[in-house]
Amino acid sequence: MNWMPLVSLALVLLLAPLLPGVATRTRALLTGRRGAPVQQLYSDLAKLWRKGVVYSTTTTWIFRLAPVAATVTAILAACLLPLDGREAVVSFSGDLIAFASLLALARFTLVLAGLDTGSSFEGMGASREVTFASFAEPALFLCFIALVRATGSLSLTGMLGGPLSDAWPAAAPSLLMVAAALFAVLLAENSRVPVDDPATHLELTMVHEVIVLDHSGPDLALILYGSAVKLALFGALVVGVLLPRAHLPAAASLAVLAAGLLAVAALVGVVESVMARLRLDRVPQFLVAASALAFFAVVLLLW
Amino acid sequence: MSPFFIGLGLILAGGVAASRSGALFRLLVPSGCIIGSLPAFRVLAGGTPREVIVSGHVPGGPWVLGIDALSAWFLLIVFGVGGAVTLYGVSYLGHGHHSARAARSHLLLSLLLVSIALVVTAAAAVPFLMAWELMAIWGYLLIMYESEQPDVRQAGLLYLIVTHTATLMLFALFALWGAYARDLSFTALAAAGPKLPAEGAAVLTLALLGFGLKAGIIPLHFWLPEAHAAAPSHVSAVFSGVMIKTGIYGLLRVLLLLGGAPAWWGWTVLSLGVVSGVLGVLWALTQHDLKRLLAYHSVENIGIILLGIGAGTLGMTYRYPAVALLGFAGAALHTLNHALFKSLLFLGAGAVVDATGTRDIERLGGLARRMPVTWAAFLVGSVAIVGLPPLNGFVSEWVTYQALLAGATLDGPIRLQALAVAGLAVVGALALACFAKVCGIVFLGQPRTPEAWSAEEAKRGMLLPLVLLALACAFIGLAPSAAVGASVAIAARVAGVGAGAMPRHLIAAAQLTGWTSAGLVLLLALVALGRSRRRARRQPRQPTWRCGYTYGEPRMQYTASSFAAPLIAAYQPIAGVRVERNALAFRSHPIDLVLDGGVRPLWHGLRWTAERLRPIQQGRLALYLLYVVATVILLLLLSCAGGAG
Repeated sequence: MNWMPLVSLALVLLLAPLLPGVATRTRALLTGRRGAPVQQLYSDLAKLWRKGVVYSTTTTWIFRLAPVAATVTAILAACLLPLDGREAVVSFSGDLIAFASLLALARFTLVLAGLDTGSSFEGMGASREVTFASFAEPALFLCFIALVRATGSLSLTGMLGGPLSDAWPAAAPSLLMVAAALFAVLLAENSRVPVDDPATHLELTMVHEVIVLDHSGPDLALILYGSAVKLALFGALVVGVLLPRAHLPAAASLAVLAAGLLAVAALVGVVESVMARLRLDRVPQFLVAASALAFFAVVLLLW
Repeated sequence: MSPFFIGLGLILAGGVAASRSGALFRLLVPSGCIIGSLPAFRVLAGGTPREVIVSGHVPGGPWVLGIDALSAWFLLIVFGVGGAVTLYGVSYLGHGHHSARAARSHLLLSLLLVSIALVVTAAAAVPFLMAWELMAIWGYLLIMYESEQPDVRQAGLLYLIVTHTATLMLFALFALWGAYARDLSFTALAAAGPKLPAEGAAVLTLALLGFGLKAGIIPLHFWLPEAHAAAPSHVSAVFSGVMIKTGIYGLLRVLLLLGGAPAWWGWTVLSLGVVSGVLGVLWALTQHDLKRLLAYHSVENIGIILLGIGAGTLGMTYRYPAVALLGFAGAALHTLNHALFKSLLFLGAGAVVDATGTRDIERLGGLARRMPVTWAAFLVGSVAIVGLPPLNGFVSEWVTYQALLAGATLDGPIRLQALAVAGLAVVGALALACFAKVCGIVFLGQPRTPEAWSAEEAKRGMLLPLVLLALACAFIGLAPSAAVGASVAIAARVAGVGAGAMPRHLIAAAQLTGWTSAGLVLLLALVALGRSRRRARRQPRQPTWRCGYTYGEPRMQYTASSFAAPLIAAYQPIAGVRVERNALAFRSHPIDLVLDGGVRPLWHGLRWTAERLRPIQQGRLALYLLYVVATVILLLLLSCAGGAG
């Protein structure tokens, strides 16, 4: 029995709440502030977990299911990624579709939970969330097509495991474009600048934050943790494409993953401090640009 | 085959008995469906296909009925959905003072089920066309249930014209094909396949047009939303779940008999799949009428099925049996899954319409509390149609995705089919948006109108089929290997290769998706249970946060129009919507770009021309004689001119 997939899964699940902290801290430092400590999210989660919950009189069971689904789907999706650079906890042909669908299920339940409150703000956020997702999804799948083409495998383990390092010399330009497109999808899927601003304080301008406006206590903690894991997953995808680690010893591979995740989080912080948020109707253009990038990568590989 | 005929007899008997007692109808038709599907199960389990030759000495050769794997699969769909729907129909139409009309509708429904069953078992062109035409006519009469309403009559007329156009195409198809064959039985046609000129280009084009009209492929879909919205909900369920699938059956049967198709046909089907999928879901998103919205989703799902058929055909053409099997298996499985979850959704929509008296999404809301079972079933259907785990829609989309992605691992032209994956991803994301809209606006939040306030849970007779269909969706999602295995067997029949060409790991992988889904359900249940135990101590309830304001009205909630607005704005040129925006209101009115933009103007143009030509026809003999003389003189002059030259 090979324990490495489980060990790396545990590492990522433990490390995940650090990433939003790193991003926020980087942003604060670059904009001349001190900022919250990087481990802030751990304290927030601990605090929220101890608190009570207030439910709206309008809500039904779907509102309570959504936070659970957010965390559970993120963890299951993490099981499908080869986090140690070799193999995943669970791997089968076509598991990349399961990966995307699990994340989509989390989005679906969260959006329904938002609409469950009957609040206009949350309806607005829900509407924006599904709009942006409809542009991020093709970009993600175009990246997957490029990776399938480059490695000849239909599973995430096959794609990001061994063959990718052999594909790099021949397909470097495409793989760089894929990594860039994946990073853009990461920004969109995790509600980061330039698509959304996690630091905004006005409900009207929020996207993801406003959907969870009525969640409180442990429910909110589950949602926050689920989003942190999701950020780590997309980070691991980017790292997996850029740094294939199948030839490294296991410990080194994990160290590279951890360093890579922190670097991605810091990069998110850099993007947040050098870019303004896009106007809402420009966001689709940003994501279409990401899709176009991935599309070019696919075309280069197909020819 | 005899259980099949006993089943058909029971269904017909049930239909006739409906005028006496609804209970007898409810008993006889579902039991007929169960008995009738026994031979289908036997064939799918590996039994030998059976044939019955009904009559030997008629024009067009013998009338053959037979059940092979492909027929068996569609027979299961017909009888499965048909049984659930008849259970529902009695309660749905049962009340009110239209009992004679309801009994007529029940009889027509059983006739429709019998003719569809004959369509998918006919193994010769003549019985096939007869059953096809009967199916079309019963369908028309079923649409006309509320014939006093003008829009129902209009939808019926449109359906009648379109379905006859489709039948005409099929007559042409079999006439062309039959000219090269000994007789019109399917075995003779299959033998004549290689003799067809241009690799059967004419036959394949006619099949795409004729069967495409029935299946509702864009741009031939324009009759479908009208007809589905006009018919009673359980009839819409049969239309969407079963009847339009006969178009898919036809395409697969023609492919099977021809033994493949040229590459251009595969690429055409693949492109039509992307177009139908994306435009179907986009146009669904703009709808505010619950049943029209579901009807447009049928167009979308036909698009997904076509993606599978396209990939399968290309796999056959370019000789990659594994791709062919994956493609056809995805198409077959999605056909079954769509039949299950779409009939579930239509029946759920029917329960909503029955409880509130409106199909307008904007006038509903908060039904989750009032109709908890309907809501749970509708949610299952929604998650399934969006293609999310742990339900059946995910399984078939997973197979279809793999068929398309497998192209990327190969060389030669087939590698380009991987680009269709992006289309499928757009379809999935837009479907998620659309069903978030439906579930959220119809079932969640607060009721927007008094009708929605006073809604009550549907009757038990309507809930039972909903629960059964939801369980079927969950079963295929959680234990997919049997369904995937059966669909691979059908794909092997269509593609004409052994199922051994299948990559062996597919079934194992299907089992793993099942385990993933089961793990998902288990974890969800465990964590949710843990949360609810912890929560038991204290649970304050407050109104939803309204930014510090204390008032709030249900009308202030987000509407379906505003929910869909950003997406529609982003896709504006092809979204087909007219937006009305002023200081007080925001409304969007959906228009069908094909029907309102193409077919209606064309029809009006024809009519206008015909009216301009009317003065020629005066009905006076002298005038007609004058025409004759004038024509003769003209012809003489022409021939003189020709002779001189």
